Amino acid sequence: MDIYLQQLPQQLVNGLTIGGVYALIAIGYTMVYGILSMLNFAHGEVYMMGGFAGWWVLHLLSRENVPIVNAGLVISLMIIISMAVTGLLGMGIERFAYRPLRKAPRMNLLLSALGVSIFLQNIVLNYQGAKARFFHVSSLIPEGIRVFQIGNVVFSFLRILVVVVAFLLMALLTVIVKKTKVGKAMRATAQDTEAAMFMGIDVDRIIVLVFLIGSALGGAAGTLVGLLFTQVDYYVGFQAGLKGFTAAVLGGIGNIFGAMMGGIILGLVESLATTFFPATYKDVVAFVILIIVLIFRPWGLMGEKIPEKV
Amino acid sequence: MDHDLIKKELSKTNKVILCAVIGIILVVVPHLMPNNYWLRIYAMTGLFVMLALGLNVVAGFAGLLDLAYVAFFGIGGYTFAFLSSNHFDIHLPFLLVLPLSALITMGFGFALGASSIRLKGDYLAIVTLAFAQIFKLLLLNLDRPINITGGVNGIYNFDPISIFGLKMISPVAYSYLIWFIAIIVIIGSFRIKKSRFGRGWEAIREDELAAEVMGVNTTRMKLMAFAGGSFIAGASGTLFASFQDSVFPNNFDFPQLVVVYCMVILGGLGNIVGVILGAILLSILPEFLREYGAYRMMSYGLILIVLMALRPKGILGGIEFLTKEKRRQDKDETGLLRASTDLYYSEGDLLEQNEKPRYTRSDRPILELKKVAMNFGGLMAVNNLSLRLREKEILSIIGPNGSGKTTVFNLISGIYPPSFGSIFFEGTDITGLKPHLVAKAGIARTFQNLRLFSNMSVLDNAKVGQFCRTKSGPLSILFHLPLHKEEETETEKIAEEILSLFGARLTGYRFNQNAMFLSFANRRRLEIARAMSTNAKLLMLDEPSAGMNPQETIEMTNFIKKLRDSHGYTILVIEHKLNVVKTISDRVMALDYGSKIAEGSYDEVANQKQVIEAYLGRKRN
Repeated sequence: MDIYLQQLPQQLVNGLTIGGVYALIAIGYTMVYGILSMLNFAHGEVYMMGGFAGWWVLHLLSRENVPIVNAGLVISLMIIISMAVTGLLGMGIERFAYRPLRKAPRMNLLLSALGVSIFLQNIVLNYQGAKARFFHVSSLIPEGIRVFQIGNVVFSFLRILVVVVAFLLMALLTVIVKKTKVGKAMRATAQDTEAAMFMGIDVDRIIVLVFLIGSALGGAAGTLVGLLFTQVDYYVGFQAGLKGFTAAVLGGIGNIFGAMMGGIILGLVESLATTFFPATYKDVVAFVILIIVLIFRPWGLMGEKIPEKV
Repeated sequence: MDHDLIKKELSKTNKVILCAVIGIILVVVPHLMPNNYWLRIYAMTGLFVMLALGLNVVAGFAGLLDLAYVAFFGIGGYTFAFLSSNHFDIHLPFLLVLPLSALITMGFGFALGASSIRLKGDYLAIVTLAFAQIFKLLLLNLDRPINITGGVNGIYNFDPISIFGLKMISPVAYSYLIWFIAIIVIIGSFRIKKSRFGRGWEAIREDELAAEVMGVNTTRMKLMAFAGGSFIAGASGTLFASFQDSVFPNNFDFPQLVVVYCMVILGGLGNIVGVILGAILLSILPEFLREYGAYRMMSYGLILIVLMALRPKGILGGIEFLTKEKRRQDKDETGLLRASTDLYYSEGDLLEQNEKPRYTRSDRPILELKKVAMNFGGLMAVNNLSLRLREKEILSIIGPNGSGKTTVFNLISGIYPPSFGSIFFEGTDITGLKPHLVAKAGIARTFQNLRLFSNMSVLDNAKVGQFCRTKSGPLSILFHLPLHKEEETETEKIAEEILSLFGARLTGYRFNQNAMFLSFANRRRLEIARAMSTNAKLLMLDEPSAGMNPQETIEMTNFIKKLRDSHGYTILVIEHKLNVVKTISDRVMALDYGSKIAEGSYDEVANQKQVIEAYLGRKRN
């Protein structure tokens, strides 16, 4: 038991980091669900593309695994460009795969989303190969500040960076949704698309915007995870997508704040689980949580059950 | 629907010829294959036909997006590996293992279904996807500490199978065996589709709530779909394992699932002929495109996107060239469009006005609400409502919008259990019963905003009503046992009888028309017909004349009266048109803010001050 207690602070820190990333992915799911009531299966792949975009920026700006410009600039560019690329990608997906189906049965939309997911995964497989791409981050951070230690707990600089960026982005999103006119339009569209339309809101634009923001956050998560775990391959989106979805469900799907909380809870639970189970079963734990929550509290840990309108 | 039409077009002799041709093809083809490589593809095609048809039961018939399907395929494969190899040193004969592993897989399907059945669309998809992931992770990791699944290396070298002493080693023998079983699955698919199960699933796919209220046990039917699909998947998995002589986790991974889904969707969800063609096409086509192999999965993704956008019913969807129906059915011989009113009036007036009613209201209570209340998070939609409805009585519920009229219907039909109070029907407590049980007890309803099964024919819509009155199970359907045949004849008879009460509006060529093509008024009529065909004693009609013009309203008014006078139904009706209420009602009840504000004859209620105020507001003093 003592060993577990000793590991606890470290696991909490690790959990918080990965939880921040899950939260970013979960926001994309939850925003799209809130507005279109559809599960965007392709979101995991958007995340994966974000990872590749980040890797590509790092690769372009490095010679022999050493960055040729200021490291701070490299990291900022990685995040910004990956967000831009995935934001555009999300808009494209909406335009070509989902918009034609907006009035179709839900199952068609889901299958189309599945198609997008497979398509993106295999495009990357064809052009990048199955081998993982490595983020050579060791030279990005100056020697002195790479790792801190407080008591038994080790903080790496990148870990702190990931947490800070993740929380900054979430704070920014909260401000947009809560304080701006566009945010108000988004909330209105999520509540009732038709009524919002009658009130003069260009619903199509709002939907595009939701895909843009959600996908950009997913892309940022892809790059952040790349920095943290130093690799990305064509298949990472699948697992990460499921994790993000689990987080969104934990928080009550459609609820942005819930998604943030859900992500952090999932991150913490997962890292605590690794102290008790072999690491290979970490994912099993996450999926079992997903199944249990969906079966017993499909409206999330915090949400409220709404009866079906007849 | 297209299968029915195709089938009807084929006469008996054509059918015999068709069977003979298929039989000859199946016997000859294995010997025409140029080499073992193509023979293997031929056998695999048979396997994929089976797999796709199994998925078609779950996703196509019942509309459940089951992403764990490939895991069931795997469970079948690994069960064979465990029970028929040196791995655990268990060597059961193939003829025992095949049904056994299909049954074991069905058990898993049943378990997954039972735990996730309440979830709708997206959530079900995700839970099943997570299940498939867990399955794969277990396959990969359960080689330590004890070796169960063989991990990434899988399990290989199985017992050679023999059937009645006949050793199945050559690829020719395998292709005979696989296609033999595939043909069984095909025949079973056709039979199950054209049965109460097929109609029940289709109804669930179209509108789950309406299906439940019409007496379809949706939970049980969805479980049946899961079980049926996984049974076929398990059998296919066993055959596959034996054929490949090995199993690996990779055989049962996500890409494999996508391939099978593409087959089903290419053929059209639920369209058996289409799915078979889709499976054949996608098994053979990649062989001709080998040099583009890298793009194979990518193009599967594209197939899904493009098909969903352009041909959501599959390549065969909507093509009815086989039915040879040249003349439009709603045109007469001279090519003029026949108006539906002509059709109606040519039938003569439905109601003989002066005929003395056969049934009148009695004093025996049939339905009793005792202090029923419904609380929606603080809003009392129905408040302390008591009501006693007598047998063969027509009672109208009136009240302004939002006064809780439809909620009363929802409470009686079991869509929500009441927060307080109890409901009795014919002396038995039906409070909190699930809707399909309420329907079975003898209460049927229509919906204010029309919830027909739009993509099912008029006749099938009515036949769904008989679901709760029939009981043939999968075995009697698959083997066409007498029970199934009798029930089908009876169902058809009842559905046609009830539809014919509506004259030409719902009969004749309309039998095979999909409900979505009916006019608004006819859809309302079909809603009533569907409710009647549950053999209900109490009909609850939610605004039966809403959206109808004056002529149609008069007709509907007479019809409702006739339902009681000549057919003996007890009727509870919500209606806004007060002249309708006045004509039909024995009694009227007025609701406002969920409470009863008046009850009695039409004149009593209509002249009560509180009722007038509820509609028009209070006079300022």
